[in-house]
Amino acid sequence: MFSVSDTIVAIATPPGRGGIGVVRVSGPDAQRISRALIACDGALAPRHATFTRLRSRGRAADFSAGGAGEQPMRAIDHGVVTFFPAPHSYTGDDVVEVSAHGSPVVLHAIVAAAVDAGARLAEPGEFTLRAFLNGRIDLTQAEAVADLIDAATPLQARAAFDQLEGTLTRAIGDIDAALFDLVARLEASVDFPDEGYHFVEPGALASAIDALTMRTAALVATSRGGRLIREGLTVAIVGAPNVGKSSLFNALAGSARAIVTDVPGTTRDLVTEVVDLNGLRATLVDTAGLRDAGDVVEAEGVARARQSAAVADVVLMVEDRSRPRVEGGSAGRASQFGKELCVANKSDLPATWRDGKAVEISATTGAGIDDLRRRIVAALDVEPSRDRAGVTNVRHVALVERAHAALARARDALSAHGGALPEEFVLADLADARAALEEVSGRRATEDLLAHIFSRFCIGK
Amino acid sequence: MSPAFDVIVIGAGHAGCEAAFAAARLGVRVGLCTLATDTVAHMPCNPAIGGTAKGHLVREIDALGGLMGATIDATGIQFKLLNRSRGPAVWSPRAQADKKIYGRAVKAALDREPNVEWLIGKAGRILVEHGRIVGLAMEDGDAHGCRALVVTTGTFLNGLIHIGPEQHPAGRAGEPPSRELAESLKAVGFTWGRLKTGTPPRLDRASIDFERCVADGRFAVERGDTPPVPFSFLSAPIERAQIDCHLLHTNDRVRDLVRANIDRSPLFNGQIRGIGPRYCPSLEDKIVRFADKERHQIFLEPEGIDAPEIYVNGFSMSLPRDVQADLVHALPGLEEAAIIRHGYAVEYDFIQPTELTRRLEAKRVAGLFLAGQINGTSGYEEAAAQGLVAGANAAHAIGAGGGLELRRDEAYIGILVDDLITKGCLEPYRMFTSRAEHRLLLRIDNADLRLTPRGREAGLVDDNRWERFEQRRSRFARNLKLLDETLLRSDAGDRVAASQLLRQPEIRLADLLAADRIPRFEAGRDSLAFDVASVETAVKYAGYLRRQESEIERARRDERRRIPVNFPFDRVPGLSREVVQRLTQIQPDTLGQALRIPGVTPAAVAVLGAYVGRLAPAAP
Repeated sequence: MFSVSDTIVAIATPPGRGGIGVVRVSGPDAQRISRALIACDGALAPRHATFTRLRSRGRAADFSAGGAGEQPMRAIDHGVVTFFPAPHSYTGDDVVEVSAHGSPVVLHAIVAAAVDAGARLAEPGEFTLRAFLNGRIDLTQAEAVADLIDAATPLQARAAFDQLEGTLTRAIGDIDAALFDLVARLEASVDFPDEGYHFVEPGALASAIDALTMRTAALVATSRGGRLIREGLTVAIVGAPNVGKSSLFNALAGSARAIVTDVPGTTRDLVTEVVDLNGLRATLVDTAGLRDAGDVVEAEGVARARQSAAVADVVLMVEDRSRPRVEGGSAGRASQFGKELCVANKSDLPATWRDGKAVEISATTGAGIDDLRRRIVAALDVEPSRDRAGVTNVRHVALVERAHAALARARDALSAHGGALPEEFVLADLADARAALEEVSGRRATEDLLAHIFSRFCIGK
Repeated sequence: MSPAFDVIVIGAGHAGCEAAFAAARLGVRVGLCTLATDTVAHMPCNPAIGGTAKGHLVREIDALGGLMGATIDATGIQFKLLNRSRGPAVWSPRAQADKKIYGRAVKAALDREPNVEWLIGKAGRILVEHGRIVGLAMEDGDAHGCRALVVTTGTFLNGLIHIGPEQHPAGRAGEPPSRELAESLKAVGFTWGRLKTGTPPRLDRASIDFERCVADGRFAVERGDTPPVPFSFLSAPIERAQIDCHLLHTNDRVRDLVRANIDRSPLFNGQIRGIGPRYCPSLEDKIVRFADKERHQIFLEPEGIDAPEIYVNGFSMSLPRDVQADLVHALPGLEEAAIIRHGYAVEYDFIQPTELTRRLEAKRVAGLFLAGQINGTSGYEEAAAQGLVAGANAAHAIGAGGGLELRRDEAYIGILVDDLITKGCLEPYRMFTSRAEHRLLLRIDNADLRLTPRGREAGLVDDNRWERFEQRRSRFARNLKLLDETLLRSDAGDRVAASQLLRQPEIRLADLLAADRIPRFEAGRDSLAFDVASVETAVKYAGYLRRQESEIERARRDERRRIPVNFPFDRVPGLSREVVQRLTQIQPDTLGQALRIPGVTPAAVAVLGAYVGRLAPAAP
């Protein structure tokens, strides 16, 4: 467990050399500590960038060890210092950001000087933890910060930023607000049975729950796509031997990663490469050609090919368009795997057959490869849109699914009782749904239910 | 001063009587201090016991060996089970009471306790030495030593009654307020607040022509249940004749009169500062704040079988006397009605119950217990429940009985106490079933199964009740087994266990019993309804009950993480000043309770959890 009342310091920019490097100091002593680092004596003006000389003590070799106390302070770099007073800072504490030249030696010296002055080295994620503890961001936003930093593709970054902006929090908040209103009405019918009110019109309960269930279902539906964005997807390239699977693999990977020969059965084990597929992080898997294998090694390769196709998010079933279509190819049979795209390779050679559903490409010339990329992404239906929150995080998915299941349970029980299940049982499931939704944002269910009832109905004799 | 009493109870209302009775049952000498014995267990407001969630409290008081359930069964004049059309978890009994007879019956029960001695007079000052209660000084100068003191002063602390511009200091109509006592309690340093409640006018029964008004449709008749469902586990079937109540509605004339005179209402012209209950709005509130509601229900309830007073339920107000008369006469059928007593609002002091421990003992003074309206609650039932807890724990504080601390997941009484000591009161606190997280498990039918063993441990349950309870408990287990073993032919023609058949929504246990299809089912004649309800609910809703039980199990992990007494919350790094202040004031005993304190976030509790056990308690 972190202590959260002392002042922490860390380099905020990635390791290595760069034009600029930033050291961040956060905590009650941030101002005092940072003044020890700089040449100017006066108080730092809030939210003003101050150009100044940065100081540290000791020999360069001692910087990372925390500095040698006896050495005199001396200027080590020019930099820009900005003070963000609490609570209007990233963490909600006093924060000072020091921008210096991006030299690891200089940055470590600054950190060492801050530690000298009383700061503690921050643990990973500690700045964001403080922002959460200080109520600057909720749990989904804290998670989004981590996702945004880890993003490997523009789509991942966009999904994470949406979450940071609170799109998911709002989407869940909207559902919870509607659920809350329904719960309040049902509670009122239970607690005030003889007020002469219809708190919930007879028959309206089932349709109200249906409406909520549709909204949670929509959120759950985004989760598969969301998960693909966040965690990436797997694309398996399968097909008969010598149809050009490895050539396609190389074309998509943009490098000659797999060995390509005219000899059928060249690829024997799985070859993988991580690529950016129109913004999605995709792991390409090249597999052995599917045929009755000649030897034990190839047989094992074919088995692995089938296995990886079975777990892939998209399977590219590659065929050779320049040769007559073989029975047992993709023609005339149901697809063996989930999302399957039929790829007709060697479009640069004269065609012996055509199939409107197949994507025509030439792995050798690169013709049709861009189209194939688009078709892969389209097949996944993951394109996030601005107005639709995507659930990308596994924890969120599990909770939204739990809420959805609880609502569905309430709805099923209601049907089983011909719509006449007493309110308190419906309420037990609805309360479970609310608890799950509020767990997403880390907000606890509050006791504001009665306030809601009393503000809307004149109750009591 | 050598203590003449072990426990002194100030006030003989519903809280005081249960407190005195519980302590006396635990074998300690009790002095019960009251102004007069003819107002013992008085009902200054509505003549009824029970209602949603309140009925649950009364069943629980009974299961713990208290007075209220048995007394209302013996004296009630109309009984109703509310929410009958809903499920068993929210069935809630309510009864109209004969105020006089009820009070006399409670007094008689206390008179039968050899350990209870009446102290007639006006309580003056609490006597405290070295932070511990040592006695009570009366206003007339007498002093009585005691080792524990239960204060149940209701609305008497600096009580101020308002009828229009008239104001007079009073605890209830016609009774003087407690000022000296209020001062001596304040001297302890408690956090105080001021609340308000109100009561409607009482009408002369002889001045209302009920028959004619019913005949021409101005009144609708409200009847009780036949047969009544009793409150007490021990009560024999109630065969008494029941009275009728009557329902009518307000009209435009009432609305216009209130609007025309609203500036004469102390509630709206600033004369009253205390905060009133939202769930029991005054007539002024109803008309002003809910302007779009066309009419409001009014119930006419007799205050006793022969009493002349009719209680006008739903018509509480603090308007001047002349406006009250006009308003009553504006109601259909009450054109000629005579007012026996006018409605009024009363403001009174209360102590923020966050000053108390789970045993309702003041954190600032050892041996001082508070119960009832002084803790910010409203309602006879809420008061009685606290009285029982305070009485049992006052006796325990001097070595008698096992003490009584109830959890939220086992009793509405547990919820009541936990809410009070954790959240304090911003308005008069009333119990609702929606306050219960695990409502399906806290039913009236299983109040005994839940709580009688706890009452026995506390020493409150006598041998007679315990013996009957043990029969009931084993009957319940045998009946459950019987339903699993009895094979019945289903509609589809195959033979299935009765318990399986019962899971179908339309199959009712009562019907199966009436058709004699489960001949070996055992039901005590007196508690037939509860025997059936407990078994049927346990079988029919088994899935729901199991789920709530596992939720409780999960929640208990937090409840088991104890926070030591005098834990130094101010030394936990990273907690905001407000959170430290709340935690220090409330002194939660578990992380679970800390989570329920308003303004304390889950993040703060997570931080707190990391330091509990690492920081040593501060010196008290």
